[in-house]
Amino acid sequence: MERIIADFVAALRENGIRVSPGESLDAVQALGLCGMEGRRSTRQLLRLTLVKNVNDIPVFNEVFNRFFSRFQFVAPDMNIPDLMNAAIIDMEGEFNYLDQLPGDDHDDDGPLIKLDSDINPEDLQELKSLTEIDPDDSDGNEIVVQMKGYRGKAKKAPRPTRRYTQNPLTIELNKSNSTPTGITFTEEEQIAMQDVVSRMMLRLRKDMKRMKNNQNRGKLHVIKTIQKNYRHDMIPFQVALRRKRREKPRLVVLCDVSFSVSHASRFMLLLLHTLHNQMLDVRSFIFNREIAEITEMLANMPVNDLMETIDKGDIIDLDENSSFGQVFLTFKKKYLENLRGRPAFIILGDARNNYDEANDWVLDEIREKARYMLWLTPEERDTWSRGDCLMETYGSYCDKVEVVKTVEGLSLVVEDLLRDIYADNAHPLDKKRLREAKAAETYDSKNYYTRGGCSEPAAFDPSGRSHW
Amino acid sequence: MITEQGVKDFLHAGGYIADDAISTAVFLALRMEKPILIEGPPGVGKTGLAKALSSALDFPLVRLQCYEGIDEGKALYDWEYGKQLLYTQLLRTQLDNYLSVSSDLREAVERLSAEESLFFSKNFLVQRPILRSFLSEKRSLLLIDEIDRSDDEFEALLLESLSEFQVSIPELGVIEAKRKPLVILTSNGTRMISDALRRRCLYLYIGYPELEREVSIIRAKFPDLCEVLARQMVEFLRKARDLNLRKPPSVSETLDWAQVLSILKATKLTPEVVANTVGVIAKHQTDLQKVTDLAIQELS
Repeated sequence: MERIIADFVAALRENGIRVSPGESLDAVQALGLCGMEGRRSTRQLLRLTLVKNVNDIPVFNEVFNRFFSRFQFVAPDMNIPDLMNAAIIDMEGEFNYLDQLPGDDHDDDGPLIKLDSDINPEDLQELKSLTEIDPDDSDGNEIVVQMKGYRGKAKKAPRPTRRYTQNPLTIELNKSNSTPTGITFTEEEQIAMQDVVSRMMLRLRKDMKRMKNNQNRGKLHVIKTIQKNYRHDMIPFQVALRRKRREKPRLVVLCDVSFSVSHASRFMLLLLHTLHNQMLDVRSFIFNREIAEITEMLANMPVNDLMETIDKGDIIDLDENSSFGQVFLTFKKKYLENLRGRPAFIILGDARNNYDEANDWVLDEIREKARYMLWLTPEERDTWSRGDCLMETYGSYCDKVEVVKTVEGLSLVVEDLLRDIYADNAHPLDKKRLREAKAAETYDSKNYYTRGGCSEPAAFDPSGRSHW
Repeated sequence: MITEQGVKDFLHAGGYIADDAISTAVFLALRMEKPILIEGPPGVGKTGLAKALSSALDFPLVRLQCYEGIDEGKALYDWEYGKQLLYTQLLRTQLDNYLSVSSDLREAVERLSAEESLFFSKNFLVQRPILRSFLSEKRSLLLIDEIDRSDDEFEALLLESLSEFQVSIPELGVIEAKRKPLVILTSNGTRMISDALRRRCLYLYIGYPELEREVSIIRAKFPDLCEVLARQMVEFLRKARDLNLRKPPSVSETLDWAQVLSILKATKLTPEVVANTVGVIAKHQTDLQKVTDLAIQELS
């Protein structure tokens, strides 16, 4: 039994579930206590002891189904051609035999295959025969290798970022070829995004926590200090300080959803969706020619539903040509008055105004209300003044203009921004520390965003508005 | 000796309808002496399980409610400074007598330090929930509620207590549990619990119950409510859970609703009944509308 559990644990690990040796010992102990009367109870026992995360449960179920049906799948008298076929199907990634397996919670209470103490070495050999075709068979070996190669690769979810790092045109082409459904996200994309964001959050949290502690420093709280030091005969060993009101950073995001930047905006929206409620007060808007607020929807709707709603044009009309001037004007009329605090602004768009009125003076007004203004564009610098692109004009009002093309790039830029916002509220001590850290940091332009055709980054200095 | 079915039965007797996963987890936790980490949406009976277990097994319930900033002084133990001060004041004359024998300062310090342990003894120790449950004469049930509200540091603090069932106090040494308590941790998943803690626990996810179980939960709590109505309620609520509400109705809402309906002596669900009582199951303004719409659509 121990062998089987060990093999099963190995299978789980192959599929990305982290199982420690201690946990597999638990599983063996648990099975020893409860016995293995039925498939159902065994599944529960193993799930209780081996899986420690809700998100891993579906994977566990799948592995369980696959693992404990190996006997049925490769019957001993199955002939080689069948095996080959199965292997080929496997290699093509069509795990269609999985479909025929019983679903996870509809297990019958029948005996769980031959898994018991009377299992003999031959049985174990058979158990393995799904992944390894009979080693005596010379034809099989090559397939084994190939299959393993495939399986190894299939472990990781396909990295969606790869696809979107290419230039916008090919992405559009790819998208229209492969996914006619439009701009919804696949499971892997969402997981990958969550991964990116959670890594970002981890990096941020450490710094933020320290900063928050310092931020709370204020004047001496006399009463609390006395209370606290009562036990020390009123000698103030421990000092209590008044807390300052903690300010949650505010963020306002304007996101262009017109066709030309849709690949970037969908990731922006996904990023916002994941960021939402984490540590920020975000208000999100989408625009094309009209502008609409989607803060509530982002918080309450599953991201794919929201995408579909946007895609259908239910919120704003997608068939119109985008007009930044128009949008800024509407934004000023409708929303600018009731923006609280001094939010940081992020505008995502290509600044292609379709030869409409620029209305760039509105940006100046927004600037007055904003703590910081950041423009993200998917286009390279050398196209900024071509055609109807008003990037040069609009850019002059912004603190910073960044070229972002990948999710990682996007998250890095946002992380940077968050740091800046926090640093603004930070205690002088932290400010100093941050400045030093920033000075010590060396940017690797390859890992960081690429800055178009611009050779010297100094031109993009946040304070270098004169450069424009 | 308790069996798996036994666990289910005595929980049932205590008014808690458990499914197989829950009873297996409890059984294993009792036999393997491991903590259970329970995750799930709010109101599905995570804390309820602990309460039901404590009354069914007759284990005294020791509850530790976690919050941001909780520390060892609140969870494990603390020294009773006030009492220590008071004792030194009261015993001043005795101390003087005791120390006056010594000829010089060095000897006095030595004499005093020989008696040091008096002041750091169990007399002056305030037992906080974890230590209290460890030192309880009877096997107890330690409920660490909403662990996700606490900080990372506190989680790390729990590791020793949960895997070794002991508490290290620098002045006293290691104190081991007299009877290892049954430990239940609950989490609403607002924060990821670290893997180190997860590894030390059995992991149980309690989701929304299946139809039959939910009906029997209602029946167990409100036996006089007619079964047809209970079934209708559950079916309606299951549909409501699919509506993408901000706060989907949970088992606790189901029970509240059942209570309300039995007070109102309703016999059948109609759109009017739902509209009148919708505040019990939907807790946000936008949700109210959605649920009433669903009622009109489904029940009329």
